This record gives sequence, structure tokens and C-alpha cells, in this order.
Amino acid sequence: MNRDWADICGGAVLALLGLGVAINAGLRLDFGTLRAMGPGFFPTVLGAMLALLGAGVAVPAWRRGAKPVTIRWGDAAAVIAAILIFGLGMSRLGVVLACFLAVLIASLPAPHPGWRWRLVLACAVTVLTYIVFILGLRMSLPVWPRLP
Amino acid sequence: MTITRRAILALSAAAFAAPAFAQDWPTEPVHVYVGFPAGSSPDLLARIVTEPLAEKLGQPIVVENKPGAGGVIGIQQMLANAEGGHAIGTSINGPLTTSPRLVPDLGYDVAAYIAPIALVATSPLVLAVAADSEAADLQGFVDLAKAEPGALSYGSVGQGSGAHLTAELFDAEAGVEMLHIPFTSYAEVTTSIIGHEIDAGFMAPSAAMPQVEAGKMRMLGVTSAEPFAQVPDVPVIAGNAGVPGDFKAELWNAFIAPAGTDPAVIERLNTEINAILSDETVQQKLLDMGWQAAGGSADDLAARIGADTAMWGAVIDRIEAAK
Amino acid sequence: MSAWEGILYGFGVALQPAVLVYCLLGVTLGTFIGVLPGIGAMAAISLLLPITFYITPEAALIMLAGVYYGAQYGGAVASILLRLPGTPQSAVTTLDGYPMAQQGRAGVALFTSMISSFIGSILGIVVLVVLAGWLSRAATAFGAADYAAMMILGLVAASTIGAERPMKGFAMVVFGMILGCIGTDVNSGAQRFTFGQTELMDGINLVALAMGLFGVAEVIGNIRNAERQAAPEPVSLRQMMPTRDDLRRIPFPALRGTALGSFFGALPGTGSTLSSFLAYAMERRVSRSPERFGKGAVEGVAGPEAANNAAAITAFVPTLTLGIPGDPIMALMLGALVIHGVQPGPLMLEARPEMFWGLVVSFGIGNLLLLILNLPLIGIWVSMLRIPFRYLYPAILIFVCLGVYSVRGASFDIAAVALIGMAGYLLALARFSPALLLLGFVLGPLIETNLRRAMLISRGDPMVFLERPIACGFTIATAALILVSIWQAWRRHVSKAEEGK
Repeated sequence: MNRDWADICGGAVLALLGLGVAINAGLRLDFGTLRAMGPGFFPTVLGAMLALLGAGVAVPAWRRGAKPVTIRWGDAAAVIAAILIFGLGMSRLGVVLACFLAVLIASLPAPHPGWRWRLVLACAVTVLTYIVFILGLRMSLPVWPRLP
Repeated sequence: MTITRRAILALSAAAFAAPAFAQDWPTEPVHVYVGFPAGSSPDLLARIVTEPLAEKLGQPIVVENKPGAGGVIGIQQMLANAEGGHAIGTSINGPLTTSPRLVPDLGYDVAAYIAPIALVATSPLVLAVAADSEAADLQGFVDLAKAEPGALSYGSVGQGSGAHLTAELFDAEAGVEMLHIPFTSYAEVTTSIIGHEIDAGFMAPSAAMPQVEAGKMRMLGVTSAEPFAQVPDVPVIAGNAGVPGDFKAELWNAFIAPAGTDPAVIERLNTEINAILSDETVQQKLLDMGWQAAGGSADDLAARIGADTAMWGAVIDRIEAAK
Repeated sequence: MSAWEGILYGFGVALQPAVLVYCLLGVTLGTFIGVLPGIGAMAAISLLLPITFYITPEAALIMLAGVYYGAQYGGAVASILLRLPGTPQSAVTTLDGYPMAQQGRAGVALFTSMISSFIGSILGIVVLVVLAGWLSRAATAFGAADYAAMMILGLVAASTIGAERPMKGFAMVVFGMILGCIGTDVNSGAQRFTFGQTELMDGINLVALAMGLFGVAEVIGNIRNAERQAAPEPVSLRQMMPTRDDLRRIPFPALRGTALGSFFGALPGTGSTLSSFLAYAMERRVSRSPERFGKGAVEGVAGPEAANNAAAITAFVPTLTLGIPGDPIMALMLGALVIHGVQPGPLMLEARPEMFWGLVVSFGIGNLLLLILNLPLIGIWVSMLRIPFRYLYPAILIFVCLGVYSVRGASFDIAAVALIGMAGYLLALARFSPALLLLGFVLGPLIETNLRRAMLISRGDPMVFLERPIACGFTIATAALILVSIWQAWRRHVSKAEEGK
């Protein structure tokens, strides 16, 4: 059936998240009193509110039709992987190598065949990054791989 | 990877990777980790010392600002980059004395992971009130506080901050009870005192001074054992208004290294830093920022860390017991 | 010294060749770091701090201030062209600026943003000179209860912008507020949802959140879509220039934005974020055709851009008149002065008039330089859109990562961007508004700390929100706004039902 799955799922996830936050904060953080509100006061209240709002988004959407949305997991995975490689690899690999690898991985899902442009792009972006951030902004970053 | 594991790895790496000959050190640029952002007081203080230090060492010094968690992240990052033996750090007192009590998952044990180099500077706090406060002096303030426990409120720069713990210590020693209102910066505390929202605050002298000069605030006392050069007219709190004579609360700033650093390197750095601190222009620059140049041996710093950890630990015990 | 004498004196300071050069250096660097996604004043201060040790304090202050307000001009560029806001203020600009760019009207959007920024800044300077005394009294008169009441009003007023269904908008605001709870609780020191990560003790990095929700999410969503569209045709100069109708839509939103920005900017704290959201909400409310908003309305760019630039100027009011920095970045800029032995404070105007008036005049000169610098750049920025997206987006990702890293040098934040980007992509697919999440994230912690602080100070008496005149005003305004909204919704419901009959 063609329901508004985006709102149903989105609302449900937010509702569960809100419930989780409220329960977690309620159990582990001091709620306090109105005079001296504890660290748990706001998270508990906000979590409960989010649970209600999430339900408020999801329930009416059940009776509503909408165009289905497609999630492009492949594109997302490539982008996320590129960011993680760059972020976590930078300290060991150095900016130059990490940047080159990240650009290569990020460019994988682009719907344009060929390897050459990807390699050229990776080189170009790496050079640009070096010029802007290392030479220009003088950010203190490891540039080259650190040999063990 | 958890922080703890990261720190332990760094520690073991440091122990093995120390350079072979201290007289060759440094063989590459030295990285000084500062747990506060560029332009902040601890950062400027580090730069005042590192600029001449770089000349003396004959290698450039890169100040690495790794702000976060009240300075704790700076120390964690110094430990994580200890490999190679060219990472040292500066830290305020908090991460070396009170953070082990206040921060869960700290990731380092001060005694085991950190080698003290030298104390750089100390700073007391001043007890500041609005210019038109009813309290004429410290005695008047204590009288007001005693008249109705909890009626006077004070601002600090956060739960467990030096300003908060100092006020708690003052409460205990003077036998009063004040209401704690946590803020996040001295700017907020100042506004709140001037706006008569809160009554007082233990503040950095340089944060209170401009308002005092403009006639908007007054300083009732200073927490050091002797009058402080930046505010010489402000009486010391110790031995005044019924506060015991040994009352003393100071913030400080020190150079540290990862444990396992060659003792000769520590010795060298200690000597150079002490030489820099004996320069009068450096002393004046520090004083303009509200810091009194200190110095001393690495063992002095270790003793200071131990003593302050015990003293603030007792204050934290009291706060926790009151909860 | 009267204002006129002061301004003349200020020209004497600001027009010294060396000072002028540092002013130009500051605004140019400001534009540059503003355009680079995520790179902010923090990185600029680290870069410039060593220079400031060797120049006069007034030149240092003028240069750093130039970076501060120059970044506001540049920030709009990445927001309009690529939906990459580095700050919550420029997140508001994406709401209508980015749709305009997609409709081939990037040039007009950039032009609108530059002109409105200029109007906002110049009028902001006038406000600074004329009303500085009044604004500084307002800044100390505001207590915790007043701030809490004001933020709540701001949240209520702005909580439906850019959302197709109000319920989804509210959910995003609350979700943002929950994310804002992460970190050390200011009042108790308790760790909330930090999961043992010291990097989370100061909360989620705001820049990482903005970049992930907008930029990374947009990249993921566009990898395929953008390729299908043919590369935009080369834009002629004529298309870049605003039409007569566009020009007609700029002045009043810009004036209203300036008014909001000038007032809120002078209050220490979140002035400029709150004012740009409020400016947007206000434009939509006063517009005769609110349905155009979110689809490329010129007013939706003009209002917020004027507001945040005016706020960037009046943010100097508490700093210069009270010696109390309005935000952490301002505090760091002042650090550069302290090292010269200049202690900013209430007496600075009398003791160091060259600092105050020199700075005020440099604001005018700097903004003129920014306009001259930025107008010709519009053509270059727009032509960037002709680069195929497959060449652009990997570079965007790298720049985002380094921008986020520059805030506090934590690799943790780059990993956070990856996670936030994924969540942002899913939220965007389900059409939840990231701008509202950001609003909740920024205002939530401020509401919480101020509300709790107000209750502590009042010893637990909630009447403080009605007893303090300022708080009372905001509370009544909030109640009125809610009632009006409910009444309007009911009216719409009734008229729809009648049409149905």
C-alpha cells in the first residue's frame, strides 16, 4: 500500500528516540525539583515531548498517501567512508595521502565511467587542499605519513 | 578505541621512544599542547613562554590548541602524541588536581602518566561585589552571610571550577553558607553582579579590575597568602574576618611532559623556563594578564600538585556530602 | 568627546596607511574563511595571533574585527551556492538562497545578500554610535529570567519556519534541544549522554552539526540528481543582475532585519543566531505571499543577512562599553589586546579613545571594502556552479572535514560529521527541517541554563517571569503569539470546512 512511509518511519524513529532519552535520563540523571531542577529535568521532559511529537507525525501519516522515497545507500556509504577515512586516517597517513584516498572513495558513486578522471581529481583536490590549508591557513596538521 | 586504552598506548610508546641523547634534544619542532583555544588566557601565557623558549632550544615550537573539557583534552592529546618525544604541554591546575575527581573516563592518572616540568605562574581570585553592595568590607560581607544562611548568592564559572571550589572553601573556613549560581564565563558573572542578580563572585583579578576602575564593582579580598601585585590594595582574606590564617586558594599554570620523558630533557626545560621567568619583561607581561611568575624545580611542581589535589579533594568531599 | 568629534578622530586613526592595510587584510581573510565551509573565526585567530603581537593594539583590533564581520559576508556564499552553512546564521540564508541558486538565480541571491549585509552593517554602525549607551544598559538589565523568556519567545516565533507540517517542525526543534543537552550539565557538572567520550563533554560541535545536516546530506542526495541535469547555461550579466521587482523586495526586509539584528546583537550571548531566525520568521509573517518562502524568496535572504551583519556590529557594544565580551570569539579577540596591556573595560572609551573611535570608523571603511571586494566576485562564484558536480563534491567533503577540524583540532568531530551527515540525509529525505533542528540545538541549552539559573536565583519562585518587567513583556508576547497562531489555524480550518460545503 502506498502510504507516507517517510513520515511514518521518521515519526516512529523520533518517538522511540524520545522515549529512550526520557527513560535513560529519568533513570540515570537526577530530576530535581522545580526550585532546583536537576540535570535530568530537561532531557526527561524533552524526551517525552519528542515521543509525543514523533507519534503525532507518524500516526496521521498512516492514512495518507505519498510518493515513495528511495534511499541511496551506496552513495551514502561512499561519502561516509570517505569522511571517516580522512578523519580517522589523517593523524597516521598525513593529510596528503588521506585526502587522496578520501577523494577516490568519494568519487566512486559518481555516475560517470572511467578511472582517469578520478585519479586526476584526487590529485587536484589534494594539491588544492595543501595550498589552502597548509600553505594558506597554516593549520597544524601532519602532512606526510608517519612511518612506524 | 576507548580513551583509556589510547592513553595507555601512548604512555608505553613514550617510554620506549624517548630520544637517546638529551643533549641532542630537540631534533625536530616541539609541540606544546594547550587545552584552551588560541587567544585565551592559558594560551597567551603559553605563548609568552614558548616564544623565547623556541630561541633557546634552537627549534621552532608549535602551539597546539586542543580545547575541551576544561583543559583535559589538551593533556589527553599530549599523551596521545607522546611518541617521538617532542610533545610537551601546559596545563592549568584543574586537569592535574581536581579533574581526576570530577571527570569520569579521564583517561590518565596524573601521578603515573605525567612528568612535571615547572610551575609557570600563579593567580589568586578576588572576592568581588557590586559597587553599591551593603558589605563595606570582608567583615561586613561575612556578617551579611551569617545573618541569613543562603541569602547571599555567588557566581562561578561552572560546577567544580576553581571559582566554585574556592567559594566552597571560603564557605567552610568562614563558617558561612552562600547559594551557588553556576555560569560559564567571567563575562556572565560580571554582568550578573553589576545587574544585581547575584551578590558576589570569586573572580580572576584581571576580569574584575576594569569594572572596579570604572566604579561598578569592589574587591573585598584576595585569596593569596600575600597581597597580589596586580591589585596591591586589596586585603588578603586569610586571617581576616574570622577566616583562618592558612586560607589560600590559587590557580596556577605549569609545563608538563608525558611520563617517561628523559629526565635530562625535563631538567633542561626546567632550567630554560626558569631563566625565561626571571626576565622582568616576561614577568610584567604575565602580570598584565593577571599572573604572577612562579618557577621552581620539577619536584616543587610535583609537591604542589600533590598538596592541591589533597586540599581540593577535601572540598569536593564536602560538596558531595552536602548533596 | 561628541560623536562627531569622535568620528573625525576615528578617521584619523583608521585612515593611517598601516591601519588601513590591516583592515583590508582582516576583511579579505574574513571573506575567505567565511566562504570556506566551517572555517571560522577560531582558525583565523590562531593564524593571526602571532602577527598581532608585533603591531599596535588598535591595528590588531581593527584587523581581527574585520575578520569577524567579514566572515559574515563570505558565509552567505557557500550557503547560497552549495547549501553549506558554517554557522546557524547562514543556515537561515540557505532556506531561500539555495533554492534561488537552483533556479539559476544564484547571482541575484548573492547580490541580495551583499547589499543587505552592507545595509545592515552601515545602519548597525549608526545604532552603535547613537544608542551604545542605551544598549549597554539593556545588556546589564537583562537577567537570567529575561533571557529565558526572550529565548522562549524566539523559539516559539521561529519554530515553524521551513517546515511543511508544524508537527514535524516542532519535532525537529525538540530533537535539536535534546542534542543540545549532550555534554556537561552547567548547573550540576553531571555528564549527560556523553558515553564516556571526553570529546563530548563540551557537547556536539556546532559546526559539525551544521555541516553534517546541510552540506554532507546535500552531497549524498545530489550525487546522482545533479548529474542528470545538464550543467547550467553560462549566466549572462543580465541574469546576474536583480530585476526591478527583486530590488523592490530588498529595502524593507533589510531595514526590519537591521532593527532586529541591532537589538539582539547587543545582548551578550546568541544575538545574531536569534536575530537571523527571527528576521526570517518576521518576513514570512508580514509577507502577503508567505507561500513563496522556502522556494526562493528574495526577502528570505535580505532580512536574515541584514540582521546577522547588524548583529555582528552591535555585538561590539557590550565589549566596548562594558568590557564584557558578548561571545567567546570576541573574548578571544580581546586576548590579543590584553597582551598589549590594553584592558578592555567601561573606561576604554575615555582612556583609549583611539581604540573605540578608530574601530567604529574602521567598521564603515571595512564594510565598504567588503562590498567593493565582493560584488565583482559574484561572477566568479556563480561560474563555479558550472563545474560538474562530480568534480565539486569530493572537494566539498574534504573542505568540510578540515573546516570542522579547524574549530578545535579534534578528529572526533570529523567522525561526528560522518554520522550526522548520514542522519541529515535521512531527515532530508523524509522532509524534516534541519534549520529548525539547529535552532533548537542553539537555543535549547540557553533556555535550559537561564531557566534553571532564574529559578535558583529566585529561590524557586516561578513568579519571577511575571514580576521582572522585561521577562513579563516577553512572556506576554509569547502567550499572545501562541493564541494568535491557534486562532489563525482555527480560522483556516473553518474556512476550509465552509469551502468543502
